[in-house]
Amino acid sequence: MAADWRSFKPVLIPDIPNLDDIDVYIKNGGYEALKKVLSDDWTTKSVIEEVKAANIRGRGGAGFNAGLKWSFMPEPDGGPRYLACNGDESEPGTFKDRMLFEYNPHLFIEGSLIAAYAMQCSTIYVYIRGEYIDWIKMMDSALNQAYEKGFIGENILGSGFSVNFYTHPGAGAYICGEETSMLESLEGKRGYPRVKPPFPAQKGLWGRPTTINNIETLANVPLVINNGADWFKNIGAENHPGPILYGISGHVNQPGVYELPSGVPVLDLIDEVAGGVKNGKKLKAVIPGGSSTPVLRADQLDGVSMDSNSLREAGSMLGTAGLVVIDEDTDMIDLLWRIAHFYHHESCGQCTPCRDGTGWLEKILLKIKNGEGEVKDLDLLLDLTTQMEGRTICALADAAAWPVRHTINRFRDEFEARCKKSVHAIA
Amino acid sequence: MPEVFIDGKSYEFEGQPKLLQFIMDEGLELPFFCYHPSMSIPANCRQCMVKVGQPVKDRDTGEYELDENGERVIRWFPKLQTACNFDVTDGLVVKTQESDELVERAQKDNLEFILINHPLDCPICDQAGECPLQIQTYKYGPEGSRFEVKKVHKPKRVQLGPRVILDAERCINCTRCTRFADEISKSYQLTITKRGDKNYPTTAPGETFDDPYSLNTVDLCPVGALTSADFRFRARVWEMNQTPSIDVSNGKGCNIDIWTRDNQVLRITPRHNPHVNDYWMPDVGREIYPLFNDNRISRPSVILDGENQIKSSWNNAIETFGEQMEAIKPEEILAIGSAHASVEENYLFAKFGNLLGISTPLFTPHIEPGSGDGFLITDDQAPNTNGVRLLGFEETDSKQLKTAVKSSNAKMILLLSDHLIDRGVLSADDLSGKYLVMFATNESETTKKADLLFPITCVVEHAASYVNVDGRIQRSFPAKETKYTNRRLDLEMTEGRLDRYGTKFDNWVTDENKVDCLPVWDLMALIGGRLGLDITYEGGSREVIKEVSQNMPAFSGVTYERMDDELGIELDTEHQTVKS
Ligand SMILES: Cc1cc2nc3c(=O)[nH]c(=O)nc-3n(C[C@H](O)[C@H](O)[C@H](O)COP(=O)(O)O)c2cc1C
Ligand code: SF4
Ligand code: SF4
Ligand code: FES
Repeated sequence: MAADWRSFKPVLIPDIPNLDDIDVYIKNGGYEALKKVLSDDWTTKSVIEEVKAANIRGRGGAGFNAGLKWSFMPEPDGGPRYLACNGDESEPGTFKDRMLFEYNPHLFIEGSLIAAYAMQCSTIYVYIRGEYIDWIKMMDSALNQAYEKGFIGENILGSGFSVNFYTHPGAGAYICGEETSMLESLEGKRGYPRVKPPFPAQKGLWGRPTTINNIETLANVPLVINNGADWFKNIGAENHPGPILYGISGHVNQPGVYELPSGVPVLDLIDEVAGGVKNGKKLKAVIPGGSSTPVLRADQLDGVSMDSNSLREAGSMLGTAGLVVIDEDTDMIDLLWRIAHFYHHESCGQCTPCRDGTGWLEKILLKIKNGEGEVKDLDLLLDLTTQMEGRTICALADAAAWPVRHTINRFRDEFEARCKKSVHAIA
Repeated sequence: MPEVFIDGKSYEFEGQPKLLQFIMDEGLELPFFCYHPSMSIPANCRQCMVKVGQPVKDRDTGEYELDENGERVIRWFPKLQTACNFDVTDGLVVKTQESDELVERAQKDNLEFILINHPLDCPICDQAGECPLQIQTYKYGPEGSRFEVKKVHKPKRVQLGPRVILDAERCINCTRCTRFADEISKSYQLTITKRGDKNYPTTAPGETFDDPYSLNTVDLCPVGALTSADFRFRARVWEMNQTPSIDVSNGKGCNIDIWTRDNQVLRITPRHNPHVNDYWMPDVGREIYPLFNDNRISRPSVILDGENQIKSSWNNAIETFGEQMEAIKPEEILAIGSAHASVEENYLFAKFGNLLGISTPLFTPHIEPGSGDGFLITDDQAPNTNGVRLLGFEETDSKQLKTAVKSSNAKMILLLSDHLIDRGVLSADDLSGKYLVMFATNESETTKKADLLFPITCVVEHAASYVNVDGRIQRSFPAKETKYTNRRLDLEMTEGRLDRYGTKFDNWVTDENKVDCLPVWDLMALIGGRLGLDITYEGGSREVIKEVSQNMPAFSGVTYERMDDELGIELDTEHQTVKS
């Protein structure tokens, strides 16, 4: 069992002033991991093996083993290959990647360079949500510094490996965080997710092999190279190891991003880390990993910790580890309507069940919110979630359906109480 | 051969078909909207859901694993899959709506979603009667709706371009129209705008959808979201007769359908022919339909006292022609054929002259260099240039033709269906002092000059063949009646839904709009009779083409049956022809 989370020292965003300055970063051991993998001691294959062994599970929400994903790239054939870094970060409740952009951009850059080397990519793009105007600037200046030092560009550190690295701003669409939609957007097209297969490793950007990783995922890579896979695997929960940037928002006294090992008990995060529920209110519920993950009632949280197994057993998911804390005064119908509004607003509109389903969900919820709903509407809502889930091109429809299903099921009384007495009640 | 199991039945397959296409090729059915065999597969409508599973193979032996009953163990995909983009593989097991309740339910659910924001204004929608959404809703959709909230409202009556109008509320976002503009016509003029249920197709701001192929999107659109500015609100599909034919607006010979009602052509749509035009046709080919209705020459005309053209009876016109012919030597007659007329017409025209000792007809191709686009619009403005060439007509340029016409040897000119003055080959003066006999379909500056004018049937009134720029011979069918034909008696003619299900006394049956004209083969029989020649063809053009195929090596083996079965026949255009 890993050490107590309370004794953990941050490694993704360590407490070092001005770490975004490349000289400070280098002075603190920065870019050593890159030098290491470019030396003769390492091969592209051994980098992939090490990262795979560390089991860095994707921090973008799906939790896929990063090294395993890299190993899906086909053998180089001389043509271009891409790494696309996903900094679109638009899921409500999620605001962790921007901390890396701001406080430790070089860790992410170094991780991306190692990843690009391991997969022999010729170009790296970092796609950053358009609203992060300042953070895009920060990334640009960090990239410039790294170019100047020769960590990016032609023949990096004399190794013969060359790569270019660009930022690319989004234009305000959540759907462009979905990996294949992001590829379309990078190509200058409308952000429509692609049908899979073919998968990006086969046909990604401009039809060439491409891997997509989240920013935080990539930031873990230099740590693994420097300290070894075993060190990494010993941090936090076994099934989902490593440090996690927990984004805690909602009704807590100290909202923010906290770096701790995975597997911290949910209640500890709320009470100890984030200073407890605001104004001394009682905890009503928690959305553990971004707005698409099923809400958990306070009474479902005993012994539940922030790792994928524990959360799955409790009936939810780790997602992006962005917790939304909900106090006793919160109107769950209001909350759910607001979430449904988001997914309705953000559906790209390609697939029928999502395009029309998300709107229908929102409209029924609005009706219920306004006291005009009937109990049969709740069952209709549940029916619609089944009609949407698993029948679309990307997971946005699922992300829209889950909160509706689980919030209604877990707070059914509250919803029913808001409904009109059905005129058809008793014949 | 590899096999796939669909609803419990085994089918063999070759190559790497996609499941939906394979299902359709086998004559089975799945509902779908966005898939189109000639465009990329977006799998966005999510209508073609099926359940699929792969047989489990033993890792070591490679043999199929069997259960206790000796049946193959199937590993089902955890989610339903869209058939349109699903690769058929050996041993695949497929369950469609025919054998699986979940699939049936999923298809119903999907239609429910499509319909919630659809205006359901079928009674005033042009697409009704040929609407995939309507048809598939009846077959696979839910009964009634559970949708009790407000529909999304979107722009209506949007003039996307000169020929196409959008009703965004009817749009089901299948992206067929945008894919067409990106992948087929490559004008890149359309895109989807907004997001989610506010989506609809549009042009970039300030741009107009004037793609020369824009009307194909109206055919492609599976609902009434895109309608033709010209055709909308003109007719119900079930009121019209649909007849296969060939586009005569240029040299490509796009395969088309002619839609008629009350003996008027109301619209033209493309007909699939993978060898010629696939599923498409240029807008100009559709826009020519008024030619078949308006400005038609009906009844013969003669010029009296060298001045006024007046209508004449057929008897009088034929008698006049006979008298003129008797008064003149064959060497003094110049015959001019036409790339705008069919093989059969030109052949008979030449044969008639030949029997009388008139020399082989000349013709001047109607080619405008630079007007083609390398796709379906050709430089050649006529449908049958190669046909006339293969008949051995003497090809002249405008100058040579002018010289021949003006030569003092030519006292009489027999002109088949070529409006030479209108297209600037001849001037009115060039014809002065000549006796002009013209066989034509439409009034023009040229026909005004005819001393004797015989109205003949046009492409939509007869069966006749045309050889396109690539040397492919294809034929038309009679689509509208003339004064002398009757849909119910003419076996070459199609019957519409009303012909089949209506009665003679229903008020949509009309004798109006029938042109008083004759096919060249019938006319030649009459004229020939007057001149003592036997040029009769009991079997009409079908018999003419038989004779052409026997006499002209380039056309050997050509029959209507073969053209119908093979969607036209590629001719050996290099073949030296024997002059008739
Ligand atoms: C609708 C939708 C939105 C998404 N948005 C993001 C996002 O903003 N950032 C992100 O990293 N991943 C996002 N993802 C997940 C990505 O598709 C992808 O799984 C991830 O970037 C892969 O990186 P990882 O394996 O390192 O986590 C989104 C997925 C969906 C379906
Ligand atoms: S599921 Fe929704 S967001 Fe994803 S591709 Fe389909 S319509 Fe677009
Ligand atoms: S207008 Fe028609 S063809 Fe175009 S996307 Fe809508 S439904 Fe499809
Ligand atoms: S036909 Fe539209 S998803 Fe298959």
